[in-house]
Amino acid sequence: MTPDMKVMIAGVEFDNPVLTASGCCGYGEELAQLYPLSKLGGLVTKSITLEPRLGHPPPRTAETVSGMLNAIGLANVGIEAFIREKVPFLAKQQTRIIVNVAGATIDEYVEVSRRLNDVAVLDMIELNISCPNVDQGGIQFGSDPYLTEKVVAAVRAVFARPLIVKLSPNVTSIGDIASAAEAGGADAFTVMNSVIGTAVDIDTRRPRLTNNKGGLTGPAIKPIALAMVDAVHSRSRLPIIGVGGISDWRDAVEFFLCGATALQIGTALFVEPEAPLKIVHGLKDYLRKNKMKSITDLVGRLEKY
Amino acid sequence: MTRPKCETVRLIKRRDLKNDYFSFTFAPFSAADKCRPGQFVHLKLPAGEVYFRRAFSVASVETSCGDLELIVKVVGRGTRILAALRRGDATNLLGPLGQPFKLPRRRERVVIVAGGVGFPPLLFLAQKLIDRGHDPKHILFFYGGRSRSDIIERSRIKKLGVDLRIATEDGTLGEQGLVTKPVKTFLQKYGDNCRIFACGPEGMLKAVNELGLALHVPGQLSLEAPMPCGIGVCLGCVVPLTAGGHARVCCDGPVFQIGEVAL
Ligand SMILES: Cc1cc2nc3c(=O)[nH]c(=O)nc-3n(C[C@H](O)[C@H](O)[C@H](O)COP(=O)(O)OP(=O)(O)OC[C@H]3O[C@@H](n4cnc5c(N)ncnc54)[C@H](O)[C@@H]3O)c2cc1C
Ligand SMILES: Cc1cc2nc3c(=O)[nH]c(=O)nc-3n(C[C@H](O)[C@H](O)[C@H](O)COP(=O)(O)O)c2cc1C
Ligand code: FES
Repeated sequence: MTPDMKVMIAGVEFDNPVLTASGCCGYGEELAQLYPLSKLGGLVTKSITLEPRLGHPPPRTAETVSGMLNAIGLANVGIEAFIREKVPFLAKQQTRIIVNVAGATIDEYVEVSRRLNDVAVLDMIELNISCPNVDQGGIQFGSDPYLTEKVVAAVRAVFARPLIVKLSPNVTSIGDIASAAEAGGADAFTVMNSVIGTAVDIDTRRPRLTNNKGGLTGPAIKPIALAMVDAVHSRSRLPIIGVGGISDWRDAVEFFLCGATALQIGTALFVEPEAPLKIVHGLKDYLRKNKMKSITDLVGRLEKY
Repeated sequence: MTRPKCETVRLIKRRDLKNDYFSFTFAPFSAADKCRPGQFVHLKLPAGEVYFRRAFSVASVETSCGDLELIVKVVGRGTRILAALRRGDATNLLGPLGQPFKLPRRRERVVIVAGGVGFPPLLFLAQKLIDRGHDPKHILFFYGGRSRSDIIERSRIKKLGVDLRIATEDGTLGEQGLVTKPVKTFLQKYGDNCRIFACGPEGMLKAVNELGLALHVPGQLSLEAPMPCGIGVCLGCVVPLTAGGHARVCCDGPVFQIGEVAL
């Protein structure tokens, strides 16, 4: 018997629980060259802001041990071009579409979300209050419970479909931030964004990124992400989409056990664009071997000491 | 544009060239016949010391058997691991990726400018042009390096019958000085009806770009940039454009028109 891979998040059904993460799959066009996007549980777009953004000057990525640093700086086409140029393509894809929203001010988050309210093809939005790479907005909202609740509530008021809030690990208590987001009206969490870090070129004695620091992602951050998923899971009953350093189905199983209902794959796509498909395959085998009927049987089943 | 393939291939042949250069032939790569000069493959290294794939231009293909040749210079950790591969070892290739060179018309004179490790895609280009009927005598192959040992596969280029002009900075082979010097002299004299195709270190590309603009000779440059993904999704490989904005080297390039990129 084939195990049931369907999961529900805030009333939205996903054919499988493996999505691609924001900033790691563009707006879908490039991955669609490699395989039909219908094989993904869903796709999260690059963060969209009100105006187009160029991002930071290069170099804005650096390879590290088991991962990478990035300080792209929310380079994106802006909401208008997104709706005009990217949505028509996304509308044709047989997968769940989540649009990631970022802003420098609460007004910007609200305005982008308001416009997205009219875009029928998207199933949910993911609020990025956790980007470490911009001077204004981003993590500034995501590290203060008061601002978190305020921005989430403001977006909640203008966007009628489910709202996911993406949390940062660079906070004293991710549980407090999650509670604040829940109070503001969040329907689910994405845990987590990248971890602040930097790297130095010892020959030039300069940072390897023009932004001087960036966000660490990839296998290096998996243990942190697992602990963050667990922390949010113990604090809130809202569904969690786990992300951070997932490369294969074994990593994926760990996230489900710690409390994730679905997953996103980010940096691993760069090395293995087909990673999500392999993970779905591996998860099915694991469920079969363990005589489990549904992927949801795994969620939060960590047997703690 | 053909869709890239992601396939496991084996190293079927390796040749150790001089000065830390290696030629690797991988097979079977089902997209070998789809690879065009200027395109590259993203090669996965055994898990361990390095995380990302590494980009290498296609140097030649043998379409009948799916052979794909890369010519690689060892410069760091990843290329060192690659140099340790032995015949029969498996690796994973993603490609062909990127925009190829736009081929010149048959009557146009081709001015190739290769600097150091920028040589492989231009070898492929010259071969392709000749296969398509371009007169080898109308292909000038300027090839520069620091020293004699940086100039590889000389007999192979000569066999193509192209007009090979070598320059080395220390004068140990060919003309002494930077390769852009003889290129300039040539273009000043015979620049009409020429197309430039260049790949090499940043300084060389910059000089060729300026030459092309100053002498009104059109052409294309193949750029390099560190590439986390190679497929256009991470936005890590961008370069500034003269018209404003950024372009992704991996998928909007690596081949750009002279004058297009703010070098
Ligand atoms: C489109 C493209 C085509 C290429 N074709 C060839 C080819 O045909 N033959 C060949 O030998 N090399 C080619 N390169 C360069 C090759 O990708 C790098 O030499 C290789 O990635 C270095 O890996 P490493 O782990 O050995 O070096 P690292 O240890 O990562 O770095 C060593 C040095 O190389 C620099 N470097 C690392 N990656 C790159 C890169 N992608 N581009 C430029 N500099 C880099 C680093 O900044 C450092 O100074 C190409 C690069 C691109 C982008
Ligand atoms: C190059 C790059 C760009 C990213 N851009 C965004 C972004 O625009 N918005 C966002 O919310 N997260 C962004 N992220 C974070 C990822 O969505 C993800 O949370 C993080 O990479 C951790 O997962 P991973 O280890 O699987 O990559 C980016 C990550 C990378 C590597
Ligand atoms: S390498 Fe990722 S966009 Fe070019």
